[in-house]
Amino acid sequence: MCAQPVANTKEIRWQKVLYERQPFPDNYVDRRFLEELRKNIYARKYRYWAVVFESSVVVQQLCSVCVFVVIWWYMDEGLLAPQWLFGTGLASSLIGYILFDLVDGGEGRRRSGRTRWADLKSALVFITFTYGFSPILKTLTESVSTDTVYAMSVFMLLGHLIFFDYGANAAIVSSTLSLNMAIFASVCLASRLPRTLHAFIMVTFAIQIFALWPMLQKKLKARTPRSYVGVTLLFAFSALGGLLSISAVGAILFALLLVSISCLCPFYLIRLQLFKENIHGPWDEAEIKEDLSRFLS
Amino acid sequence: MAYRGGGGHGHPHSAALNVSPRSLPTCRTHTHSICMVSDFFYPNMGGVESHIYQLSQCLIERGHKVIIVTHAYGNRKGIRYLTNGLKVYYLPLKVMYNQSTATTLFHSLPLLRYIFVRERVTIIHSHSSFSAMAHDALFHAKTMGLQTVFTDHSLFGFADVSSVLTNKLLTVSLCDTNHIICVSYTSKENTVLRAALNPEIVSVIPNAVDPTDFTPDPFRRHDSIITIVVVSRLVYRKGTDLLSGIIPELCQKYPDLNFIIGGEGPKRIILEEVRERYQLHDRVRLLGALEHKDVRNVLVQGHIFLNTSLTEAFCMAIVEAASCGLQVVSTRVGGIPEVLPENLIILCEPSVKSLCEGLEKAISQLKSGTLPAPENVHNIVKTFYTWRNVAERTEKVYDRVAGEAVLPMDRRLDRLISHCGPVTGCIFALLAVFNFLFLMFLRWMTPDSFIDVAMDATGPKGAWTYPHPYGRKQGDNNEVSQVR
Repeated sequence: MCAQPVANTKEIRWQKVLYERQPFPDNYVDRRFLEELRKNIYARKYRYWAVVFESSVVVQQLCSVCVFVVIWWYMDEGLLAPQWLFGTGLASSLIGYILFDLVDGGEGRRRSGRTRWADLKSALVFITFTYGFSPILKTLTESVSTDTVYAMSVFMLLGHLIFFDYGANAAIVSSTLSLNMAIFASVCLASRLPRTLHAFIMVTFAIQIFALWPMLQKKLKARTPRSYVGVTLLFAFSALGGLLSISAVGAILFALLLVSISCLCPFYLIRLQLFKENIHGPWDEAEIKEDLSRFLS
Repeated sequence: MAYRGGGGHGHPHSAALNVSPRSLPTCRTHTHSICMVSDFFYPNMGGVESHIYQLSQCLIERGHKVIIVTHAYGNRKGIRYLTNGLKVYYLPLKVMYNQSTATTLFHSLPLLRYIFVRERVTIIHSHSSFSAMAHDALFHAKTMGLQTVFTDHSLFGFADVSSVLTNKLLTVSLCDTNHIICVSYTSKENTVLRAALNPEIVSVIPNAVDPTDFTPDPFRRHDSIITIVVVSRLVYRKGTDLLSGIIPELCQKYPDLNFIIGGEGPKRIILEEVRERYQLHDRVRLLGALEHKDVRNVLVQGHIFLNTSLTEAFCMAIVEAASCGLQVVSTRVGGIPEVLPENLIILCEPSVKSLCEGLEKAISQLKSGTLPAPENVHNIVKTFYTWRNVAERTEKVYDRVAGEAVLPMDRRLDRLISHCGPVTGCIFALLAVFNFLFLMFLRWMTPDSFIDVAMDATGPKGAWTYPHPYGRKQGDNNEVSQVR
């Protein structure tokens, strides 16, 4: 073996360069090895209550699904008249519609340039079409067994919860897919209701709670965080109350789920944050920070 | 240029002895029988491929026996011989993604074991962490009790899920590998962190370029205009987006500035858009994909070489450009600051603004005539990186490895479990046991003594030097034989 001469290492300083033949063996480890290593430079520090506040989006969506299922159960049992649900839904939609503009002082409307007439038109078109098609919706899954329909609805609602846009920037998020799954679940469930009117009102209600309500929530959260917390609490308690009237065990489990999501999970996240070891160094792929689209526009 | 023999036993004559004194081993106790394994080899083109080829040629020149194992490329399967009797096995394994084979850790054992036994291989040298076959070969070689060396050619981050998984696999693959070679100090730091290695078993041996292929030719360029050359694949990681910002900025500022861009890739479209938008058709030439032999002819047409890579372990392109006498302007990423001395390269941050400043500095130096003459630059650069030096240093690694013991099975299992975490470690320890049992089974089916020993065709003493009837053409060491 012909080892390279390792003399005079004291005087000759090792350099991190490749073009010079240095009097060190190739596997030499200098004191400067890994000196450019940085840890956790982009790590975020979370505050407990801020995380709890953010987790309310998940709680809200869970409650929406719960309320939807509870209402469907009441309709299915014949305990809730469809006209009554339609009236309440219409009234709350109107209140929501007014609130939607009030919260940001009509700024969003001005920016999007959408008129009230356009809103009214699309609402009318939607209601007419759903009403017209409700006999078909009613008989759509007649040949499918009820168990299959329930299983499908459960999967669709789970999918709705998974793909919902909670504000995270991830590949799995797709609000379109999420909404579609929720509507599909509602159509499945509506087809098991006693009459066409029931089916029509169930689908309308699904649109209200899965499409319109999250839009209002988002705006409330951005503009008036305090009232948003209140709304979330109220909504959670009403969902729990509704569930309690059907099944006490279910309500307890649901309450535990909500508490763990809004209180335990943030705690756990902050605890795990201590173990975070994000390594950065010169080997990282550089990021282009400029906006390069200006050269092409 | 290639000679295709009809198998390893084609010429049972003893070869004529015509050993030149230059290639006699100078300070070595014994020669090695080395098997290079990688999914990436000719006809695929790239840094890893030429590294394996050039290193093998120089090792053969130094008297070692070298064979290469890769997977079949289309019609090219079976055994082929390249210059100097370098034997290449193209194994019929399925390619899964990006020219890398699928890995099951088992299916390649029968073939690889047969080759290792038949060729009497003592050291397995795997290349590239993206190659599944390279990792498979390491795994089998350890089961068979052979010495293992691994060369890592690329950098990898730590941030996303895919890199977490790949790094875990690398940890498993390298935890009981004898020695690891990286191409730059940054790459060594990266690999040591990724695979949780002892830095003492990681050597840094840079890549090389052949300086005789990249000679300057100042008469090929027009001195009335300034030409900036870019040669790279046009992909995101090579910073083509930055290039699309630099071109309009500088072309508006300097009316006598031209760009020549060689290379192909998905980002070509944005360069074409920029050219269209700023009406630069006569000043920005897009050459498309270049053959390796044409690169030099493109390089010598320019005054300044621009490299916009966002990540790079060891940038061969800037050494090639400097060897052709161009002033290099590059981003300061990965191992690039280690590659060329400060007077030959202008390093910039990876942003349009910083790169434009660097290029303007180079342009002003060019206009004032303070840039060194291409011939002088070439003479400096050609001493930096040579394949012979790479082979010499790699040989030292082999010598060191040959003296080490391969971990016996029980200690290998201990190492896997203690080093790779409880879950992954146990899974792979179990797989190692299965691999061992499979090997036992194969040995029972075909005992090692039943396997023919292949003849060594390589090197000065090999059968290769026997003048065969087709008439031997003088093989040029540094040229790839291409049989298509």
